[in-house]
Amino acid sequence: MLKKVGLVAVLAALVSVVVATTAWGSGKPRVLAAATASVKCGTKVTIGVAYPATGAVAAAGANQWDWALTAKKLWNKSHHLKINLVPGDTKLDTDASFNIAVAHTFASNGSMLAVTGPAGSQENQDANPIYKGAGLASVSGSATRIFLTRATPGNPLELPHGYFFRTVPNDGEQGDAVAKFIHGTLKAKHVYIIDDGTSYSTGLADQVQADLKKDGLNPGRNHTTTAVVDYSSLITAIPNNTQVVYIPWQVAGNAQAFYQQSHAAGKKYKVFGSDGTDVPGTFEPKGVGYVSGFPVDFSNPTVKAFSKAHSGPETFGIPTYTAVWVNARAIQMACTAGHGKTTRTAVRKDIPKVKLTKAQSLLGFAVQFLKKNKGAWQGYGDMGGAASFGIYHVTSSGAYVRVG
Amino acid sequence: MHFLVFNVIDNIRSLGWSGAFQLLRNGVVLGSLYALIALGYTLVYGILKLLNFAQGDVFMVGAFLGYGVLTAFGGALNPEIGLVPLILLMFAAAMVGSGVLGVSIERFAYRPLRNAPRIAPLISALGVAFFLENSAQLLTGGYVYSYDALELGGKNGNLGPLESPVFSVAGNPVTVVQVFVVATAVGLMVGLMLLVSRTRFGKAMRATAFDREAASMMGIDTDRVISYTFFIASMLAGAAGVMFGLYIGTTFFFMGFLAGLKAFTAAVVGGIGSIPGAVLGGLLVGICESFAIGYVGGQWSDIVVFGILILFMFVRPTGLLGSRAIQKV
Amino acid sequence: MSDTPDKPDTPDVSEPPPEREAGAQIGVDSWVATEQGRRARGGPLGALARGWESTPDAAKLLVFLAAASTLPFWLNEGDLFTYGLFTLLYAILGLGLNVVVGWAGLLDLGYVAFYGIGAYGYALVSSPQYGIHWPAVVAIPAVMAATALLGLLLGFSARRLQGDYLAIVTLFFLQAFLAFTGTANPTIAGVGLTGGPNGIPNLDPLSFFGYRLTSTKQQYFFLLGVLAVVAAAFYLANLSRTGRGWRALRDDPLAAEVMSIPVDRLKQLAFVIGAATAGLCGAIFAAIEGAVVSTDFTVAVLITIYAVVILGGLGSIAGVILGAIVINVSAQFLAPQSDHPEIKRWLFYGTVLFLVVALVKPWYRAAVSLLGAVALGFCVHAIVAAAAAPSWTAGAAADAGSGSTGKAIASWVLITQGHGNFDTYVYIALVVALIVVRSVSGWWRAVALIPTLYLIPVVWENVLAPNPATTALILFGAMLVVLMTTRPQGLLGTPRVEVM
Repeated sequence: MLKKVGLVAVLAALVSVVVATTAWGSGKPRVLAAATASVKCGTKVTIGVAYPATGAVAAAGANQWDWALTAKKLWNKSHHLKINLVPGDTKLDTDASFNIAVAHTFASNGSMLAVTGPAGSQENQDANPIYKGAGLASVSGSATRIFLTRATPGNPLELPHGYFFRTVPNDGEQGDAVAKFIHGTLKAKHVYIIDDGTSYSTGLADQVQADLKKDGLNPGRNHTTTAVVDYSSLITAIPNNTQVVYIPWQVAGNAQAFYQQSHAAGKKYKVFGSDGTDVPGTFEPKGVGYVSGFPVDFSNPTVKAFSKAHSGPETFGIPTYTAVWVNARAIQMACTAGHGKTTRTAVRKDIPKVKLTKAQSLLGFAVQFLKKNKGAWQGYGDMGGAASFGIYHVTSSGAYVRVG
Repeated sequence: MHFLVFNVIDNIRSLGWSGAFQLLRNGVVLGSLYALIALGYTLVYGILKLLNFAQGDVFMVGAFLGYGVLTAFGGALNPEIGLVPLILLMFAAAMVGSGVLGVSIERFAYRPLRNAPRIAPLISALGVAFFLENSAQLLTGGYVYSYDALELGGKNGNLGPLESPVFSVAGNPVTVVQVFVVATAVGLMVGLMLLVSRTRFGKAMRATAFDREAASMMGIDTDRVISYTFFIASMLAGAAGVMFGLYIGTTFFFMGFLAGLKAFTAAVVGGIGSIPGAVLGGLLVGICESFAIGYVGGQWSDIVVFGILILFMFVRPTGLLGSRAIQKV
Repeated sequence: MSDTPDKPDTPDVSEPPPEREAGAQIGVDSWVATEQGRRARGGPLGALARGWESTPDAAKLLVFLAAASTLPFWLNEGDLFTYGLFTLLYAILGLGLNVVVGWAGLLDLGYVAFYGIGAYGYALVSSPQYGIHWPAVVAIPAVMAATALLGLLLGFSARRLQGDYLAIVTLFFLQAFLAFTGTANPTIAGVGLTGGPNGIPNLDPLSFFGYRLTSTKQQYFFLLGVLAVVAAAFYLANLSRTGRGWRALRDDPLAAEVMSIPVDRLKQLAFVIGAATAGLCGAIFAAIEGAVVSTDFTVAVLITIYAVVILGGLGSIAGVILGAIVINVSAQFLAPQSDHPEIKRWLFYGTVLFLVVALVKPWYRAAVSLLGAVALGFCVHAIVAAAAAPSWTAGAAADAGSGSTGKAIASWVLITQGHGNFDTYVYIALVVALIVVRSVSGWWRAVALIPTLYLIPVVWENVLAPNPATTALILFGAMLVVLMTTRPQGLLGTPRVEVM
């Protein structure tokens, strides 16, 4: 009897809790108090870096973090206002709930003025409402899906202007460049496209497939996953007359395995990678391969120093370096204008005003942000100007040589 | 859904007999790799009634040990010693290392739980698997490492002797490494069957599997028998790891999970506790997966394999060659 | 021949009595085992245990609710989201799993699939994906009904399959679910059903009769209410005939069947309840996150929920809630975005110190080990600094800065810079050393502890601290193994007796 009374008391308690819940707040979205809160710049400002530190693409994430640290070191050496990076592990392609948790944590960090990342396109779409509610803009170094900045028929979503920027050309530009090269320069008639199941890969593959269809080709299409490494049956399924196989994969090691297994099976087609596989030293389809990547200047002293300190010239994280630099520059502009004090909104409004020279961006072209739609693929938040992708041919000694 | 059926028929027609043979060949080789790991699962289950989830990760450790030996001697492109001694050394290192790892896992994660409720060693196995995977990620940085096995021993980027064809069927070559993998799996199966049925140690294994208490009362050191069984099972997994590296070419910290899962399927489909069943199950799973990728498409292959297993479990839970378990009261 | 009988040997009192083998005890009635355990524990811990057992359960729940309700007032929004919301979510998930695994004894490795189906179900009926926007009052019960139905279907397989086979089938059900939602993504009515690798974004927040729960505080209180309802409901179920039937089924299914307990129906009931709970959590999770992707529901999440239930104690409601708190708080704390690197270090060192003092029994042995480790450290550091290249000692303790703490650590612990293989060897050496420590006892153990205690900070500074997220996962796995082998009943569970 006593137990039953006790439980009725519990039920009564929770009913009152639920009532209190619904009575709490009017249900309207929270006021952007954090967005206009004044933050003292002092000598050190905080930038958040959201990247996949663990999980399926941890290697790419580690590369992004290393480049972000390089940016911090170089910036702090040459500027009076120092930056401090706070990492956030988003576990891309492994556990998407961490991305939202990182967004909430960053949003609540009172001293954070800007965010670099997240890395994945879907992550940006999912976390954007949280960042927007907190007045933060995210500058991503690897989110390439078109729908983030430009609504297209069938994909009418686009992030609110001013809250998302990217320091990497999007899928439309990369896909266009690749399709043009395959159709125009290589003059291939039989193409086969394989994506690796990630959001990045499927977006790029869809784009290239659509472009090639417009050119009159009929590319075959197949899928795999990042966990699969035995491609023998996949290779068998590729028609014998295929001239080019396009593999816009996230993991360079897998692309190399695919090339090696194709080679072992006696196949003669060319293997075409994308910026995810743009890792000289790992992806080396000697003599029969192409890769699209940023037109990085490998003789740049920063790039050379990075290659020496790490096991090779890994370029995947360079746009993250650029993104951190953009954030730092915007904060510096806002702090100067605010005389030592600034708000997240002020920083956010200064990001589109940032301009970097070719040498500063390390990307091989100067950086400036678009404020309205341009061409077929670019929108607010994309980089305008000379932003482009380069096509590299992999020679028989494994070196990458720019050909397009 | 009907598009899928049309696609499948299209693919079957366009691949033809040549393609079908290639898929069969690929399936048999992949299946033999699964069979090697499945043999380990089956041995451990037979003797302890325990599903050793960590078996896939022992396989991964073996692959990395082989990789370590390979790079210690200059790597695939500039091997400092001859091809055959290098490969033998890789196998030796991987098999011994994995064996020791397996025995330690048994000693510390499973032995204290011999008399605990059945769920406890399963959870412990999950914990060990998790621990091994993440330790490997930490120590290897999450990168995909390449054995470059296809160029092992070759000159100037040409294919090495591992990839030279042994024989051809209708113009489709079967290479040295493929024959090697299948031969090893079958050979080990025969060897294990002989071990279990003809030797004294095998008799001790069978006795321990049948009734552990009675066996120890008969003077059999069951702890030692179980340790040796784990050593053999882990050795097999380690060997499978090196062969995986030589055939497929890559190692990375997560490879044990999916391979372990598929090998698990193989052991169960073949009848868990039965040695020829493990090999049969492995071949079946490998062939199904291969044909699913070839005919249906890469994204449906996993579902096909798992779906087959689930259906199997409803129709014939003891597997193809397993025996009907009679529950004694 | 001597005329006086030999004096019997006196026991060696300098040797402390061997620790009683924890875990399942053979031939002991479960009430006796618990009672003995309770009586045997002396001191403050025993008094605490006895006090805990004597408070009425309703009071425990009310106190917990009261304490939890104060959380939003002293945590900021981000911390409330990561520490508060997810703890509650894992607690409810754990309670559902507890019904299937803890009470009915069915090893269900596909539990997370129902979590995912609940989330995707909510996503399909409350998002722009198909243009359906049901309010939560309709959506959540519908989703729960759907998952309960699927649980029923899966439960059919539980009838025919014994323990291990059930585990296999449910695990593959989970893998099939992941493959279906992540890769297959069939196109239905013109739109990909599950969104493939992109998932389904832009989900509606929970709305009840016009009120939309958009802020973290509102969601937190809502979840707290749900947890209270679920806990109370399961508590009542456990007290009933059904609960007793489950316990009978778990301990000996054959005897239970002979006693005319409807074993099959009970198994299916357990599955259905577990699935419905997971579906409920999935729907709430989807609404909170705003988007669902298949990678939210992987084996890692499964292991986390199992860790929650096992740590807390299989079969104990309070244990599950406690387990959720411990697991989630430690996991989030160890994540890189929780910006307190020095605290993590001192917490780690403190825990190691505490464990040594608590587990190495006569205090002088513990002292010998600790002092020996410190001395060894200084010696090794001096030798290496003198003999080898400076890169072997050049590294700085991560995030300790260049202050006095950083310098103190760097002068004792060997922190290298740019020697990747060193990390691997030292890590493997530590694992081997721990195995050796576990295998020996007495003074040998104290001696073996000396290099082990030095290796621990070396590994921490060189390998673990720079990678806190992976470290959390490694510690999880190790914790599961250690817990299972030393205290399988977890923190608050009852020691189970295996009937031979």
